[in-house]
Amino acid sequence: MAFTGNFMCTSFKKELMFGAHDFAAAGDTFKMALYTSSATLDASTTAYSATNEVSGTGYSSGGQDLTSVDPATSGTTAYGDFADETWTTATITARGALIYNSTPNTTSIALTNPSVVVLDFGSDKTSTAGDFTVVFPTADASTAIIRIA
Amino acid sequence: MNVTPLKTEYALDFGIEVRTTNHRGFTPEEVAERCADRILSVSDEAPAAIRDQAYAFRKKLVKLLEFYMREAIKSDRTTVFNALNDAGHPDLAELIRRL
Repeated sequence: MAFTGNFMCTSFKKELMFGAHDFAAAGDTFKMALYTSSATLDASTTAYSATNEVSGTGYSSGGQDLTSVDPATSGTTAYGDFADETWTTATITARGALIYNSTPNTTSIALTNPSVVVLDFGSDKTSTAGDFTVVFPTADASTAIIRIA
Repeated sequence: MNVTPLKTEYALDFGIEVRTTNHRGFTPEEVAERCADRILSVSDEAPAAIRDQAYAFRKKLVKLLEFYMREAIKSDRTTVFNALNDAGHPDLAELIRRL
């Protein structure tokens, strides 16, 4: 079983109501981990796992920190964004990724590396002694990676 | 009284892209295109005159970004050249300078 599409994790939606995630630029630390086509990540994924995570030159287990951009609004829609993320001088193959929060607010709910979004790249993507970049969509009310309408 | 439910959305249409290189890094042109996409998005549904102006502006923007990226690369190589030279590797420093 491989990736089956993009998903906003169901547990993340609940955790929003517990105030567990701070997307401000100076807020929580969100990370992106890359996975092989053997990974089975979907809406039911609740937390980061190293199972079927990518390995190779230029990649460290757990992935890399994302750079959050302060959430904004347009009309009645609020949206969040991240800067593009690059693994440099990397020799890796990935089919998808998981964005997770490595520093959630656990005041009201017990969490460890809770998942946010599962990303399916559509096919295996490979870099060989090169750069591997995940490009986020334009941050606006209709295309941003996370939107609350 | 009915309240519109909170609705969370995400880029279902694979708004995420992955770009990779083999045996090289991204060129200033490639990075400038990506940067321009983050600064400016042009709707296909915009009136033709506005759309054309936006595309013309984007083209100029890409050229400007390319130029300053090359400036940054050149300046960084000067920094690396001096760091290698100071560390006692003049041959390696010269290789970097000639890139």
